[in-house]
Amino acid sequence: MDLQFKPEHEAFRRELAEWLQTHLARPWIEELRDPANDPDRLFEIRRRWQAVLNEAGYLGMDWPREWGGRGATAIEKAIYTEETYRADAPPIPNVLGISLLGPALIHHGSEELRRRFIPKMLSGEEIWCQGFSEPDAGSDLAALRTRAEPDGEDFRITGQKVWTTFGLWADWIFVLARTDASDRYGGITFFLVPIHQKGVEVRGIKQISGESEFGEVFFDGAVARREHIVGKIGEGWRIAMTVLSYERGAMSLAYPAQYDGYLEDLVAGCRERGILGRPDVREKLGRLLVDNEVMRANGLRNLAGFASGEKPGPEASIEKLFWSEYAKRLADTALELLGPQAHLVVRSPHSRPGMDWAYEAQWCRAGTIYAGSSEIQRNILSRRVLKLPEAR
Amino acid sequence: MRFELDEDRALLKASAREWFEKASPLAESRKVMEGPDGLDRGLYAQLGELGYLGLTLPESAGGSGFGAIGLCAVLHEAGRVAFPGPFLDLLLAARALHRVGGAEAERRLADLVAGRSLVVIARSEGVLGCVPSETAARFDRGRVIGTKTFVPFAAAADSLLVTTREGLVLVERPAKGFEATPLPVIDHAQRFAQIPLDLPGTLLADAERSGDALADVDRLAALASSAVALGLVERSLELSVAYLKERKAFGVPIGSFQALQHRAADMLLRVESTRSAVYRAAWAADHDPERALFLGASAKAWCGEAARFVCGETIQIFGGVGYTWEYDPHIYWKRAKTLEQFYGTTRDAIETALEAAGI
Ligand SMILES: Cc1cc2nc3c(=O)[nH]c(=O)nc-3n(C[C@H](O)[C@H](O)[C@H](O)COP(=O)(O)OP(=O)(O)OC[C@H]3O[C@@H](n4cnc5c(N)ncnc54)[C@H](O)[C@@H]3O)c2cc1C
Repeated sequence: MDLQFKPEHEAFRRELAEWLQTHLARPWIEELRDPANDPDRLFEIRRRWQAVLNEAGYLGMDWPREWGGRGATAIEKAIYTEETYRADAPPIPNVLGISLLGPALIHHGSEELRRRFIPKMLSGEEIWCQGFSEPDAGSDLAALRTRAEPDGEDFRITGQKVWTTFGLWADWIFVLARTDASDRYGGITFFLVPIHQKGVEVRGIKQISGESEFGEVFFDGAVARREHIVGKIGEGWRIAMTVLSYERGAMSLAYPAQYDGYLEDLVAGCRERGILGRPDVREKLGRLLVDNEVMRANGLRNLAGFASGEKPGPEASIEKLFWSEYAKRLADTALELLGPQAHLVVRSPHSRPGMDWAYEAQWCRAGTIYAGSSEIQRNILSRRVLKLPEAR
Repeated sequence: MRFELDEDRALLKASAREWFEKASPLAESRKVMEGPDGLDRGLYAQLGELGYLGLTLPESAGGSGFGAIGLCAVLHEAGRVAFPGPFLDLLLAARALHRVGGAEAERRLADLVAGRSLVVIARSEGVLGCVPSETAARFDRGRVIGTKTFVPFAAAADSLLVTTREGLVLVERPAKGFEATPLPVIDHAQRFAQIPLDLPGTLLADAERSGDALADVDRLAALASSAVALGLVERSLELSVAYLKERKAFGVPIGSFQALQHRAADMLLRVESTRSAVYRAAWAADHDPERALFLGASAKAWCGEAARFVCGETIQIFGGVGYTWEYDPHIYWKRAKTLEQFYGTTRDAIETALEAAGI
């Protein structure tokens, strides 16, 4: 066993932490608190931050240098996410492009596609959104019905996508569309489609938090170029599935680092309210502290696995299930212990400085739904890891 | 970075698995568990020969030198077969003897490690059975006076390490045996006794030195009992999964019911997380002393909950036969209960973790 980071990893971490200290104007929470920042401005702040990260070579961490990446190891990538989460840096707006489409292009895309799309994806000049889910195809993604029909050299896309994060700000959308109605999995193709064209309409959807970060995208004969297919026709499902699994290890240490900060805030809040000595409070805080540490232990173990070349397996579902369920317990406990003040939304008078629990309490509800709900993760674990028979 | 055991420890673990499965298969050790002493002395002598009783000691003290990782690897295997008897208690007593040091302690330690002598710590007092913050037992003019409760495997013990106000005292088993009143508990494999003491003994160390030694033993107990719990939950999940595939209801394997599939997935999450937490804490005990206390306590606190869930749900998955003496789930579940209560409670572990984190 060896759970020690190597000196070069520690050096990378120090260098990154220092870089963040000099380049991060203010933590994301303060941007959110600023009344001058409407959703569009917040998006621009994120876009600018992404450009700064890209300039410094911190995006596409584990991609080959040839494709604008840093050629870093899985461990460095995990350290990068960990430190940016710890610093509360603005979340980059091209997160879906960089975490999902980028690997798809690198593993399955043509050289032309990589050249054409990766640089602007990294710089934030082109914002991407993910067009997978549909009104009648969420967990059962392969039920998707949006269709792509050949039209001369190109394809015409017709159908509807939904829950499309950043749809309102995006320039491009990567779409799973049906090229063969008779083949459930093999009839799905992975298209890159420009949003700003006739035949594409995006509408925001108001979320429980009141904002409209996601939306719905309507396609009515929108044009998708044949050379903008990733992989081959009919390979969309396979590509989408492998890409989803590649992303998972990156967050191994990031969530525990983020929750360290949340816990610190919660403990400070309990101290302020004079309840930190109460045994029931200590028990609750202690369990959250311990569980976060166990999450980190899982993360280190995953990372050690990646470092020695293991591919992420279905066990990655443990990680997703753990952090997303944990986040709900953490936020519920915080609202309970911190009292009415924690219910105040961030721009309310008297809202708590520090952590925005009112938002987190809402946002954490999404974590167990998106990217494979908790139920889907449990299905994966019981079928693929424990090999239990097909459900009845 | 590497999570897997190094070659030596992997070998140690593999041979421990082989030995435990052969020497103490559950079907056989049920007899031992139900017998009067709750242990097979022959097997304990073999533990000594194998070097397993020196797992908590450095090589310089006659130990195995495999460190905390090696200790956990072997206890992990012992947990898988719910190995009966005072294995954990002996390991902790060995550590206490090593920590207090001195000629008498070392002599006794050598016997213990060789498997020639069973030494256990006698610490709890009163009917509540808690480890008192202030010990009532006294050492006075060469004799120990007081009453200890929940002394593990006292009837079989050759000597006791008794906590007194004056420090740790070694008390030899009198010719007619300790005057031990058995205290049967839910874990039928466990033996506890109440022992009124008015016996000659040897003071091994003063109160301060003894206190330090016991604090170290407590840390180790948190980690070591967590490693046993890992074996319990791992094996319980295996039993559950096999049963889910084999047992039929409504004409299909019960493992095809999603309610049970999801239960099994939640159990898997806990088993794998227990593995991560235990070995990480063991690694820290060997290589990261500053974080060892925190991580050991965290592992212990996690394991208490995890074992409740996994071992408890195993009984549920087995249905009616899960409630029978004949089937194995209860053995694991009961051992989990013992670990949770008698080697530092979950609540204590949580408090230790909080304090170690400066909260
Ligand atoms: C904040 C947020 C952002 C998102 N961003 C995007 C995005 O950018 N792009 C995109 O394509 N999608 C996005 N999604 C969509 C997300 O992937 C889907 O919501 C998710 O896959 C669930 O699908 P659904 O909403 O249709 O729910 P359903 O599939 O209808 O599920 C409803 C309930 O049934 C359960 N369920 C479904 N199937 C099973 C089963 N087999 N066994 C047991 N239980 C089951 C689910 O767990 C859930 O509790 C986003 C979602 C959220 C909440």
